[in-house]
Amino acid sequence: MKKLVYISFLWASFSFAQTDWQKWEAKDISYLLPAKNEQKLLTRNSSLVGTVLNSLKSVYSFTISNYDGDNCPFTPTCAVFFVESVERTNIAAGILMFADRFTRDMNFLKDTYRYSLHKNGKHFDPPSNYTLNSHQIIFEPEYND
Amino acid sequence: MRSYIKYVFVGLLFFKSVLAQNSVDAQLDYANKIFESSKYFDAITEYKRVLFFSSDKKYYSKLYYQIALCYKAGAHLDEAIKYFVLSEKHASNDSLAFNAKIEIIRCNILRKSTARALQLCNELEDDIRFASKKDEIYYWRGWAFMFADDWENAAKCFSQSKDYNELIMLCGQVVKDKVSVTFAKVISYILPGAGQIYSGKIFSGLMSLVWSLAAGYLTVNAFMANRAFDGLLIAELVWLRFYRGNLENAEDFAVEKNMLAANKTLKYLENEYKGVKP
Amino acid sequence: MTKTHIAFMSFFLLIVSIAKSQTNVQSDFFSNNNRLKFANHLYNEKDYLRALGEYKEILKLVDNDTIRFRFANSFLKVGRYDEAAQNFKTLFVSSKLQEEAKFSYYQTLFFSGDYNDFRINYDGGFYLPQKYYKVIDRLNSATYFLQQANLPGESKLIKPFDDSVQTKLIYFSQMIKNPPKKNPVTAALLSAAIPGAGKFYSGEITDGLIALGATLLSGFLAVNNFQNNHQFRGWLFTGLTAFFYGGSIYGSAASAKIYNAKLKSDLNKEIKLYFEERNYFLPKIEL
Repeated sequence: MKKLVYISFLWASFSFAQTDWQKWEAKDISYLLPAKNEQKLLTRNSSLVGTVLNSLKSVYSFTISNYDGDNCPFTPTCAVFFVESVERTNIAAGILMFADRFTRDMNFLKDTYRYSLHKNGKHFDPPSNYTLNSHQIIFEPEYND
Repeated sequence: MRSYIKYVFVGLLFFKSVLAQNSVDAQLDYANKIFESSKYFDAITEYKRVLFFSSDKKYYSKLYYQIALCYKAGAHLDEAIKYFVLSEKHASNDSLAFNAKIEIIRCNILRKSTARALQLCNELEDDIRFASKKDEIYYWRGWAFMFADDWENAAKCFSQSKDYNELIMLCGQVVKDKVSVTFAKVISYILPGAGQIYSGKIFSGLMSLVWSLAAGYLTVNAFMANRAFDGLLIAELVWLRFYRGNLENAEDFAVEKNMLAANKTLKYLENEYKGVKP
Repeated sequence: MTKTHIAFMSFFLLIVSIAKSQTNVQSDFFSNNNRLKFANHLYNEKDYLRALGEYKEILKLVDNDTIRFRFANSFLKVGRYDEAAQNFKTLFVSSKLQEEAKFSYYQTLFFSGDYNDFRINYDGGFYLPQKYYKVIDRLNSATYFLQQANLPGESKLIKPFDDSVQTKLIYFSQMIKNPPKKNPVTAALLSAAIPGAGKFYSGEITDGLIALGATLLSGFLAVNNFQNNHQFRGWLFTGLTAFFYGGSIYGSAASAKIYNAKLKSDLNKEIKLYFEERNYFLPKIEL
């Protein structure tokens, strides 16, 4: 919690700071059109479970998910959610987390206020919020760029 | 004798002021040197120092202009525009004002606020003081369109002058390389996968076609065998799903292809183009 | 001294001043006096980092309290808290600005977010400024509100504040001490009894309804298929029922956890905003 306060403080002070309150260097401005951000599907886990998951995922992407459209209103998508859940916990808990997500996905009356909006326009719903560990719960997405 | 002393003092004061002027110039040189060594943050400090001590307003426009250039080099475009505006306001002649305004347009192009850039171009074009500088205005209007991914209008702007043949060619190439997003979607409505194949993704198009045919066959089959529940389920969960996916892909791939075409040229403009850039 | 002498001296002065200026054209801009004028200008324009650079050069030659204070304060403004604290400390002894310096020193501790360090200083009574005693008291209370942990007694916490804000602060402290949390175990047990009931408990009504519906429907389909001797489909829907049932129990516990975290996060935001909007009840000091 303290960290959170600390970070939000820093954020607040930077957001009010003038451009020149920190020394800056020359910087090029890219001419390119901004790219759409893709979701990474594969896991970096090198264990057996990781390998199996990765091959399952590859087959799933190759045969189905590349063609069935953008059906998931959440980010990460249900499939990615499942992979990450197993990565973060274990197979059993991962399946339970996925079952819960699947149920929430079926909720056509989604209380939108519950989820914050990701910049890709979807409901932000990361697996970290469902590991039953209060410290991992985050409500706002963090962007790397 | 007394009058002689008076003259000496007057002379002293006069020399002092001339020297002060010289020192402003010297300080300006010093600031410019820092600017040239790309230490833009420090250069701003030195320009601000001159600004603070110089009582002569003839320097203001130039100083604001230099400060703005520093901010621009640091990619702080909002600040840059703020100072270019000041520079334009203090400009002592039309040429300085024009340059400042062109810089404001270039910053707007870079930060992709196209509407503002175009509006400023129009203002300049309507200004009779700059009637002889139309070519330059067309040039930047063209750039504004290129940054807004509107290559046809960009080409039109460049073709208003004889000197921009390379840019006209580049714009033409992008227009040629682009595909029609609407056309891709429409043909995918009629035949699943067609739009994807049109955008060059042949395998993906075929997969969409196969999925739609298979799911369609299963749906029809279920209804024929009087299994209405199964039929509805397959139609909703499988057939429609892949049909919708097919439409999304048709659009996505066309957009992606267009973006590649545009970015290829933008990359060339950024790295290899020899002319003046925003 | 005759008039000729005076004339001669004036002439000499003129020559000297020309010679001096020409060898050292820029000296005017960088004389300590002019540097100070420029630094103060930057400081007033809130261009603190540039002001810092100028004050640093000036301090090499002259040290006076105001310059040192502004130097330190510039560090504070740009968020370089360690350097700010160090420089404020040099003003603690025999300086006319020692009270302000001490007050600002506490500000650096506060805004750096290192509340423990703040309290070590405060509780130990180190460098407490007499003049700003009440302000520091308020900052100290604010650390507890913002950290939402280890709150001291309510009267001690609220005392330094005006009557007009006490109701709100009492509400904050109550919410920190006794937040209306939901128990994850209760939520799980409720959903074990009736699928989705735990989600009702933690306020997710529609999610609860869907969980109930999905479990009931797949359960019904399982029974129905077994009755019609569709073994495979029967087992398939049995599995699906277990899937939804397990998911609703787990999800209810998770939703209670999220409810609690949200409670805390919302309160945190509210408190932060409350103090921020009032600038942490700090007085305005123009120095």
